[in-house]
Amino acid sequence: MFVAQKTIEKILLDFEPEEKNLLPALKEVASVFGFIDENQADKIAAYFSLPLTQVFETGSFYSEIRFEKKPMVLIEICSSPNCAVNDSWQIIQEIQNHLGIKLDDTSNDKIQLRTMSCLGRCAEGPIVRVNGEIFVQVDKGKIYDILKKYI
Amino acid sequence: MKKETKIITQNWGEINPKKIGDYLKVGGYETLKNFVKNPDGKKAVAEIKLSGLQGRGGAGFSMGKKMECVFNNKVKEKYFVCNFDESEPGTFKDRLIVENNPHLVLEGIILASLIVGAQKAIIYINGHYEKAKEILEMALEQAQEKNFWGEHILKTKLNLEIEIFVGAGAYICGEETALLNSLEGLRGEPKARPPYPVENGYLGKPTLINNVETVANVPWIIKNGEKKYAAVGSEKSPGTKLFTISGAVKNPGYFELPLGITLRELIFDKAGGMKKGKDFWFAQLGGASGRLLMEEDLDTKLEYSREGKFPLGSGAILVVDKSVPIWELLFSWSDFFARESCGKCIPCREGTFRMREIIGRFEDGEISERDKQALQDILWTLEKTCFCPFGSFAAVAIKDAIQKLKIF
Repeated sequence: MFVAQKTIEKILLDFEPEEKNLLPALKEVASVFGFIDENQADKIAAYFSLPLTQVFETGSFYSEIRFEKKPMVLIEICSSPNCAVNDSWQIIQEIQNHLGIKLDDTSNDKIQLRTMSCLGRCAEGPIVRVNGEIFVQVDKGKIYDILKKYI
Repeated sequence: MKKETKIITQNWGEINPKKIGDYLKVGGYETLKNFVKNPDGKKAVAEIKLSGLQGRGGAGFSMGKKMECVFNNKVKEKYFVCNFDESEPGTFKDRLIVENNPHLVLEGIILASLIVGAQKAIIYINGHYEKAKEILEMALEQAQEKNFWGEHILKTKLNLEIEIFVGAGAYICGEETALLNSLEGLRGEPKARPPYPVENGYLGKPTLINNVETVANVPWIIKNGEKKYAAVGSEKSPGTKLFTISGAVKNPGYFELPLGITLRELIFDKAGGMKKGKDFWFAQLGGASGRLLMEEDLDTKLEYSREGKFPLGSGAILVVDKSVPIWELLFSWSDFFARESCGKCIPCREGTFRMREIIGRFEDGEISERDKQALQDILWTLEKTCFCPFGSFAAVAIKDAIQKLKIF
């Protein structure tokens, strides 16, 4: 999914250099490259004529914008009450045991497991998202098939 | 039996959301066409005010009063913001509205903007709603071709620019001042009110901010008149509401019903009652920040009122049966609020974090006296000392669970 031709300069040219476009620009850079590194953050700050701190200040607030490299496999599970009543916690236990990883352990750069907030698909819960791909009505059996695709 | 009035969902299923023609066939944009012939903002504001339409995002504030403030403001530059950053767990009504009938929302946005004299409307959409965004973009394009927005709307002197702004995953951005910060390229942290956005909103200008469902009511009210609207629903809160119900009921999903219906009717009549073999334990009203209603509270009227014990919130209802392990829910609530706390004020940032920690220790069903006391202190602090309502929201469900479910 990495688009080699897209450089940070090209992406930025799509946005008027106004403060209000900072968030859309950050989002776009993060979605193309997976995360924003320091070099890119510098370029963004220069393009918008904003202090570098504001780039980090704004970006770090939103869960879809990352400044650290993504793990190879990122598993996210909705932990909202509506998914919780449909056993999302048992799925988390299942994944932890099966892969030998722990929830919220960010030191593992291969696989990470996290909880996420509601995606508004509560009628189809529990919701699992792996590397951005969304799976609905996941249960303890189905999770193994999903994991197989990635690991 | 009298047919129930449907305002939002009346043409769902019949019309293709990707075709403007379908919406035009059922009388869509007629209200707008009539309005631009003789744009009387004052009359329209009065109509909305008298209709009693309340904000459907959760707070239930009168839309007419907000409109009046923006309308009466003499500043030339005004904005309209449509709040489509729906992220309350269990709530997906706005997504359904846009995915089923985007033009209804657009017509409402255009009308509301023209009424208050805004030159620009911004739709702040939840970053996760990709399908809804696609449909909305398509609808915007089609509506522009027909000249329903843009320059010289339907050959009149009226102009309106509409823009979509995509959020980046933050629950608190649904709060209006946080949403404005986010639109301006800042952290989505709430601001102190007053000044309210109606005076000092987007880029410091008067801004009317309304939820998707609220604006979707506007065309109907302008078309049918305020009296007809006020006749639907209850005395305190007129109109219909889109409820989303999930959990241990037979027919989970959405229902458009007049406000003032009781929770019992909704669960046992409309949603088909409990699933086979499940016993009702409690229901949570209004998403993760909602209160818990026990069996004896089932006759509570679902409406927006100041005196009501149980705020309706976004209209999301989660029905929980007795087989659900309560720890999973407790952890789910505290995990959600700890993750989504914006970090601006210490009581909320630290309080939600410690609350999750304590509840994490409760997994095996035992809790120490020290933790119990600490939890009470945290709940008190969250409720009384936080900067924005998020803090007190975080305390609601846990507090109710301790008091009503007697878990320890």
